Amino acid sequence: MFSRWNWVACGFYLVLSICSPDASGGLVQSCGHIIPESPVLALGSNFTALCILNESCLDFGNIYASQIIWKIKNRLVPKEQYREINRTVSSVTFNDTSSLATPLTCNILADGQIEQNIYGITVTVGLPPEKPKNLSCIVHQESRFTYAMTCTWNPGRHTFLDTQFRLRYRWPEQIFPDCIPKDVNNSCTIDDTQFFVNTEIWVEATNALGKAESDPLVVDPIDIVKPLPPQNVSITSGLLPTVLQLCWENWISDAVMTLKFNIRYRIVGSTNWMEVPPEDTASPRTSFSIQGLRPYTEYVFSIRCMKEDGAGYWSDWSEEKTGITIEDQPSKGPPIWRIIDTSQSPACWTVHLIWKALKPHEANGVILQYELTVRDKSSLSSPVKKYNVTSTNHTLQLREGTYEVTLIARNSVGPSPPSVLLIPASNSKAPVKNLRTLPKHDKLWVGWTAPNNYVLKYVIEWCLMSSSSDCNIEWQIVLGDVQGIDLKGIKPFKCYLITVYPLYADGQGSGQSVKAYLKQDRPSKGPTVQTKKVGKAEAVLTWNHLTVEEQNGFIRNYTILYKTIDGNETVVTVDPSKTEYTLSSLTSDTLYTVRMMASTDNGSRTGPDFTFTTQKFGKGEIEAIVVPVCLAFLLIVLLGVLFCFNKRDLIKKHIWPIVPDPSKSNIAQWSPQVPAKHNISSKDQMYPEGSFTDVSVVEIEADDKKSFSEQDLKPFDLLKKEKSTSEGHSSGIGGSSCMSSPRQSVSDSDEGETTQNTSSTVQYSTVVLNGYRDQTPVQVFSRSESTQPLLDSEERSEDHAGGADSTPQRQQYFRQNGGQDETNTDRPCFDKTKQITHANEGDLVGFVQLQISGQSSQPLGLGMEKNTQEAAVSNVLQTCTEGQTVRPETVEENPLSVDEMPKSYLPQTVRQGGYMPQ
Amino acid sequence: TGVVPFVALLLLQRRPVAGRALLLSGSGCPSHGLCRSNVQEQTRRQVAVLNATAQELFSLYLKCQGEPFSSESDKLCNPAGIFFPAFRVNRTSERKEVMVAMYKLFAFLNASLGNITRDQEELNPMAKELLERLHNTTKTTRGLISNLTCLLCKNYNIFQVDVRYGDSSKGKSAFKKKQQGCQVLRKYVQVIGQAARVLLPHLSPS
Repeated sequence: MFSRWNWVACGFYLVLSICSPDASGGLVQSCGHIIPESPVLALGSNFTALCILNESCLDFGNIYASQIIWKIKNRLVPKEQYREINRTVSSVTFNDTSSLATPLTCNILADGQIEQNIYGITVTVGLPPEKPKNLSCIVHQESRFTYAMTCTWNPGRHTFLDTQFRLRYRWPEQIFPDCIPKDVNNSCTIDDTQFFVNTEIWVEATNALGKAESDPLVVDPIDIVKPLPPQNVSITSGLLPTVLQLCWENWISDAVMTLKFNIRYRIVGSTNWMEVPPEDTASPRTSFSIQGLRPYTEYVFSIRCMKEDGAGYWSDWSEEKTGITIEDQPSKGPPIWRIIDTSQSPACWTVHLIWKALKPHEANGVILQYELTVRDKSSLSSPVKKYNVTSTNHTLQLREGTYEVTLIARNSVGPSPPSVLLIPASNSKAPVKNLRTLPKHDKLWVGWTAPNNYVLKYVIEWCLMSSSSDCNIEWQIVLGDVQGIDLKGIKPFKCYLITVYPLYADGQGSGQSVKAYLKQDRPSKGPTVQTKKVGKAEAVLTWNHLTVEEQNGFIRNYTILYKTIDGNETVVTVDPSKTEYTLSSLTSDTLYTVRMMASTDNGSRTGPDFTFTTQKFGKGEIEAIVVPVCLAFLLIVLLGVLFCFNKRDLIKKHIWPIVPDPSKSNIAQWSPQVPAKHNISSKDQMYPEGSFTDVSVVEIEADDKKSFSEQDLKPFDLLKKEKSTSEGHSSGIGGSSCMSSPRQSVSDSDEGETTQNTSSTVQYSTVVLNGYRDQTPVQVFSRSESTQPLLDSEERSEDHAGGADSTPQRQQYFRQNGGQDETNTDRPCFDKTKQITHANEGDLVGFVQLQISGQSSQPLGLGMEKNTQEAAVSNVLQTCTEGQTVRPETVEENPLSVDEMPKSYLPQTVRQGGYMPQ
Repeated sequence: TGVVPFVALLLLQRRPVAGRALLLSGSGCPSHGLCRSNVQEQTRRQVAVLNATAQELFSLYLKCQGEPFSSESDKLCNPAGIFFPAFRVNRTSERKEVMVAMYKLFAFLNASLGNITRDQEELNPMAKELLERLHNTTKTTRGLISNLTCLLCKNYNIFQVDVRYGDSSKGKSAFKKKQQGCQVLRKYVQVIGQAARVLLPHLSPS
């Protein structure tokens, strides 16, 4: 308990002792301090610090050196490094200062727990400066009298400390102010430089850990001068066309320093400098004549200087100056060549003489004109023709022959040596052999093997091949001992046609040509392939050759790549000369995708895809199937026809049964007399022979209804039903629907009832359709109501009209109406018929009314035709109203005139069929 | 060391004191390592440079002072009335004697040129070329003194030379300053030529 209070008291005192004002100055009084204070330590050295406690703190705070702990930053220093020297001093030792950091603090543990800082120091760790090395100096001339000496050195390793470098220099009896580098530590410039005194120069590096000096450099500054380049350089032309004189001024007087010079020059436009031999300019001077220059050539000159004895540095090159030499005679004649055009006539040449302008070093001046001389060697008597030309070509019209052309170029000084070109009548001499090319960087080398005979010169023609324009020929002449040249200006990826002609003393050899590329690339596009013909298992592909601009190289081959949608790609390589290829073994009715690739030595390019579908059937397969099928069909039809023809009776029996002719029945003998007033023409006239082509006959035993089967009676029921429900179509009586037509029934329900009431009444009807052949088609719808049965046994011969007439008392229910063929499906006719049918229906209504009222017929407000029909009906009614009630059930429009309509209901005799009312 | 006396020499050269004996204390030559064999040639070149530039310097000086110095230079710049070290040596004189005479001459010239330069910086501050030439000439004489010191010490063990300087121009009028400078430079042109001629056989590379 006591100890605890004691420690608290100590802590309190410690705080008070730290915070209480000093008696003397009123400042904070520390309980101790560290020595050394803020040391600068060499990296890697050992270091010991002492923390010394004040006696006052010992007395009042019970603080002793044994309680001291050392810290680097906030890290505790291991106690192994502590040593308690006495009760107020504790030391700490570091064997390697590289482990040190700042601050290093001395602390105590008050009451064994509370840590209190006593003192702290800043520790700086670094390296002493290294000896500066590689000291060198250069004196730059800045003006005529001003020189600045700049010295540089290697400052050595980084010291981690503030290190000062200073350049020091002195004379034998005088030391000068130091040169302090600004912003750098490896160079300094001394402005006040004095020549001809040995100057000792050295560098001194100093920091907190020491000082180092470089090795001294003893030098006379005059020996390390880099002078300014000569100024005011001027060039004057000499008397000779190959000499120019160069003059300049030096910045340094000879008294100070004698100089030597370098002079360089180049032709304007060239980048290659030439230099005057140094020994020629190794002495002090201010001018120099440069010889061996080209006439009329512009040169660029530059000069530099340095101390004559070679000590020091070369100056920079002076400003470039240009000068031009004077003209001289052209040194050689222009190279000349010809292009002969014989397109007009083989015997009449158009000779294009072309020559190259002389190069500047050959022309030696401005070429004023060319003097051209043409001599016909075929005819010695022919005069020599001379031309003065200012251009570099001339066209002549010459007859076929041998000519000698001479060309001279002339400038202001004089003419050139002549150039001679022999134009022989034919190039009959031996050509060059083994013409070949080889790319060499940006040049194309052309080589050949000389012919056996001596060749004066070779002419090499070349031109850039183009698909759109003519070959623009370039050419060059080389001497006969040359067997290869480099063509310049050749563009890569372009095709050139190169031709070499040997020129002999007495003629010219034929040209040998070769195509060449300087550099090849893959084609710029691929061929566009398409099909020429597609079959079941093969397809013929065609394509166009790539243009020479698109090829970019020699096309080595074409590659066809084709595949189905889901199949593997098939590759076919094709010779580059071909433009067509047939793909075989294809699958029928299959979509193929094909593309084509053109390849050069440097790559390939593929053209666009093209798709095609192979055919389902091969050539002739369809014909092989269709023709037999057609033949079989025709055979079957033919057999059917023959069969029908052979079985026509049987067919007729089933389809077209024989209907007994009522007119030939026995009952015809008692047919009522035909009213006399009926204007009935003969049956032939009424129904011309053949107009009744089909007759249906149903025989009904009227009296013995039961004798008919139910089957036979159904049509009657149906008929009755149709009439009662709708405008039923009468299909004839007795099911003779074969030739019946969909006619509206003209009977109404009342009529049906009437018919029904007269149970013995049997309806017969016959529909007669087309006329036969060229006869007028007559449609007859005959209806008969009779209670009389038709008996086969009563059929009679057709000529019984008279008989009929002779029995007028007997009721006749026979009516005939001409009409159109009801099978005629022509719509107008059908419509017309229908209208008429409607009209007749109305008429019938009126007719019924008329019949009831006993009055004459009245117009029913229909059209003219209706009225006409009505009139006809009226006539009929007028005829029939005497004795019996006539119930016209169907009134058909009759194409015949009203007058031609049958006016009576006499039994009709037809050639076939037909029936008569009983 | 021997450096201090020569520094003192140079400092004293600036003082407008005429006639002052300088003592070269110590037994060794200053910066013995710098006294190499080329010092002789350097000395000759320095004299040659001064000789080559003296006339131009004088002409430029006259030009920059304006009238009446431009037109009346013979009268105004007559050096008869001023002190100038006697240079009574010729090509046959002993080398040592020549060296001592040279030292006395260029010590005087160095001090006088310093005065002239200071005066011209005040009177003709815009005369850059003149000032530049004066600076260079002064520097050359300074280097020449350094080399002569080296030669005297090294070759003849002479550590002490009596030197007399000219009158100081300080406090004089501008005209007097110009005239004094003109008189010194004119005499300088005459003497430097003679010195160059005398020195040539003595300092030629052997």
